[in-house]
Amino acid sequence: MRRRLWPRGLRARLLVTFVLVTVLGAAAAAWSSAGSASTALVDSTQRRLTEATAAQIGALAPQLSYPPDQAGLDRLRAAVGPDTLVTYRHLRSADGAGAALVTEELREAVRVRGRLVAQRVGGDGGSWLLIGTPVMITDLDGTRTPSGIEVYAAHDLGDVERRIDGLTRSAIGTAALALPPAALLALLAARSVLRPVRELRDTARRLADGDLGARSLPQGADELAELTATVNEMAESVQASMAAMRRMQADARRFAADVSHELRTPLSTLTAVMEVLEDAADGMDPDARESARMAITETHRLVRLVEDLMEVSRFDAGTVRPRLEEVDVAGAVRDCLRARDWLDRVELTAPAESRSRLDRRRLDVIVANLVGNALRHGEPPVRVDVSASPGEVRIEVTDAGRGLPEDVLPHVFDRFYKADAARTRTPGSGLGLAIALENARLHGGDLTAGNADGGGARFVLRLPRGMADQVEDG
Amino acid sequence: MRRLWAAAAVALLALTGCGIQPSEVTDAGEPPTGVAPGVTLYFVDRRGELRPQPRETGRLGTIPDALTLLLLGPGGFAPGDSALRTEIPPVEHTRVEVTVDDGTIELRVPLAEHELSPLGIDQLVCTALDVHVRSGGSPATTVRILFTVPAPGSDRPRTCPLIG
Repeated sequence: MRRRLWPRGLRARLLVTFVLVTVLGAAAAAWSSAGSASTALVDSTQRRLTEATAAQIGALAPQLSYPPDQAGLDRLRAAVGPDTLVTYRHLRSADGAGAALVTEELREAVRVRGRLVAQRVGGDGGSWLLIGTPVMITDLDGTRTPSGIEVYAAHDLGDVERRIDGLTRSAIGTAALALPPAALLALLAARSVLRPVRELRDTARRLADGDLGARSLPQGADELAELTATVNEMAESVQASMAAMRRMQADARRFAADVSHELRTPLSTLTAVMEVLEDAADGMDPDARESARMAITETHRLVRLVEDLMEVSRFDAGTVRPRLEEVDVAGAVRDCLRARDWLDRVELTAPAESRSRLDRRRLDVIVANLVGNALRHGEPPVRVDVSASPGEVRIEVTDAGRGLPEDVLPHVFDRFYKADAARTRTPGSGLGLAIALENARLHGGDLTAGNADGGGARFVLRLPRGMADQVEDG
Repeated sequence: MRRLWAAAAVALLALTGCGIQPSEVTDAGEPPTGVAPGVTLYFVDRRGELRPQPRETGRLGTIPDALTLLLLGPGGFAPGDSALRTEIPPVEHTRVEVTVDDGTIELRVPLAEHELSPLGIDQLVCTALDVHVRSGGSPATTVRILFTVPAPGSDRPRTCPLIG
């Protein structure tokens, strides 16, 4: 109910308020002027009529025989005018409908006060002015005594009423005249308020959309201009802190890239030494041989870690470009499994041929990582399903293990994230899934983790078939 | 906001409620006067003083009426006062022209100034003033007499020694 009465838009609210206030003001002014005018009109009419009546009576009274007879009363009544009642003791002379309107109140006032009195009454036929007066006898010393003659005259105020109605109508008209300018003013005011608000809204929307350089020009020196300036300051500080954050991120990435790059040279020397050590290990005593094998394994891990780190750094730096070629996806997956001797441990279902433009090496990296994870952490059988639709190639890797816990799922692609804190010494670098995801995205595709209906973990790789060319050109 | 709507409604009601409202009985001034059972003429008694003589004419009448009666003399009426006499000589035309102006009554009498004694002039002035006051006029009104043959200063404003 309230909502319907009170519009919600700022423009409509301003309009309604302006118009209401203006009409109220105009109506109040018009009403008071019409009221005072009508009061003055009624008062002057009343005064004129009473004075005229008194003068008419006063003019005739000296000619009136006293005590008066019926003829005398009739003469007096005729002199005063229509709608008149004249009484003297039991004698009475009345004329017109108005004579019947004389109230007992008025007669009482005439008798008690001994003065000229007046009263307005509202009858069925409109308003009437009743005038009542005794006719006095004046002595030489100035004392006046009632003669017993009383005159009551009624005057129809219909004409005055019509003039007052006219005044009221013109007052309403004047108030109505104030409406259009009020509406116009309200619209102008609303526009002057709404324009900066709209600009501010657009700026805020651009900021929210990521355009941190968006500003709006403050106009004038009002509260809206202050608000605009404040929003600009806010955008400024957000932009500054975003820039600082980006710079720090870039520094961190460059540091990781530098570190891994610097580690490569000593590591290749170390690898060469380890190969020599491996050859010589057979001739060592058992304790020393165990230590040598451990050193060799850890060195291999270190090499893989550094390689993965460098790969991640390249992704972060945005310098990775896929080398696209026409690839038979099913064949590539089979080659990948065969190269790692996994064909007998994995159930592969693939269509006869599904060709797509891909980076063959990166596809190999993704599949090897997913299948390797499944073999290492899940339970056999591990299944790889390759399917192709006109739009995309889909590779599903599913194991039969316990699956991924709910709390782990959101983090499986995080760098160096290990689901089981106790299993920190697994051979993986902790970067495999992160690199796999980056590779999928490099192709414009996606990699998602979830659980199969049977309970095992399921990773789904989707690679679009059509848009790879654009990536190559980019 | 609701208050604004309420104010608008009240203003509208007030605007439509305009018009002539019935009223109580109010005072509108002095009542008219002027009825009287008769007129009072002024004559001179045996001791040479001005004396009012009421005449039961049935009505107050006008100043010319009263002056006409005055010019006709005291005889016949009011037997007890037969000792009254008039200082105004008999005249052929008893009609007096009267003009009542603001605060002054002007009498154009068919007499010359030398025909009248001061008492006779007072008779005219008092009779005219008496009618004027009884019909609602002010007692402070002065009377100016215009004679057929005036004397210097004869048209000055006069007052009645018995009135006011």
